[in-house]
Amino acid sequence: MHIPDGFLDPWVAGLFWLASGAAIGLAVRRARGALGDERTPLLGVVAAGIFAAQMLNWPIPGGTSAHFVGGAFAGILLGPSLGVLAMTAVVTIQAFVFGDGGIIALGANLFAMAVVDVLVGYALFRACRGVHETGAAFVAGWGAITVSALVVGLGIGSSSAFAYAVGTTVPIMVVGHALLGLIEGAITAAVYGYVADARPDLVLGRSTDGTAAVEVGT
Amino acid sequence: MTADVRPTRPWIRWAVGCLLVLVLLAPVFGWASGAVGYAEPIGNAAHATGAADAASTVLPGLLPDYSVAGLDGPLGTLAAAGIGTVLTLGVALGAGRLLER
Repeated sequence: MHIPDGFLDPWVAGLFWLASGAAIGLAVRRARGALGDERTPLLGVVAAGIFAAQMLNWPIPGGTSAHFVGGAFAGILLGPSLGVLAMTAVVTIQAFVFGDGGIIALGANLFAMAVVDVLVGYALFRACRGVHETGAAFVAGWGAITVSALVVGLGIGSSSAFAYAVGTTVPIMVVGHALLGLIEGAITAAVYGYVADARPDLVLGRSTDGTAAVEVGT
Repeated sequence: MTADVRPTRPWIRWAVGCLLVLVLLAPVFGWASGAVGYAEPIGNAAHATGAADAASTVLPGLLPDYSVAGLDGPLGTLAAAGIGTVLTLGVALGAGRLLER
């Protein structure tokens, strides 16, 4: 999912920088009210956990491999603003420290994994949680990564390196990640279910149905 | 708010335990995915459109490809996972504390 440098045309990379900059700026403004003695440590732990989980490449017979991305999980557990911040920390450190994803392409990688994955996952979870909470976490993890893959497919397909072959890049990205996303959904549901069970007070909106007002302990 | 307010410390200990397990698993998964060959859909898309050679490295990073100079194989992966996890924890916590003010 990480786009290296050289794949995106400058204007595409620039547009992604603008979009992710605006979204992250908004998240920073909105996060101020959400942070506190309970939420700030959770932000750190979730970001660190997602970094570590992204290092686990799940081997899939047939020569492919995928790792948990975790944006939807961050959005569900932390809410959209803190979820965007957690994923921004992860993706930025991956680029600068580990060379995973390009520097010019960082705007695009942030947009796909720290903005779209988080917000789509959060929205899907909110829309489906009334039906079945753990099922909603699965749908969120699976759906959000598939939409993120669509965004990446559109970005690379609009660039000269990929011969402007949007018709090729989008199906490969979407179908590939829709299949691999089943793992993303399963992990999102399993970890969400576990956390919600063990510490329901850490889960946003667990007792007041979706509002961010649950700040137990602060 | 409600009566089920519990002390903060135990969940942090529990969370750090979870982080430790994830870090220890990193070399195991690294070996396993290496055994089946590593390819992601974006790599497949690059091959399909002839873009594979376009990838360039503007900034290799301090620990490129999750490796640590002088530590080969699983040990390097383990060290990279540990360093990255602690760094991410620090950056996210620090950013959170700064924004609280």
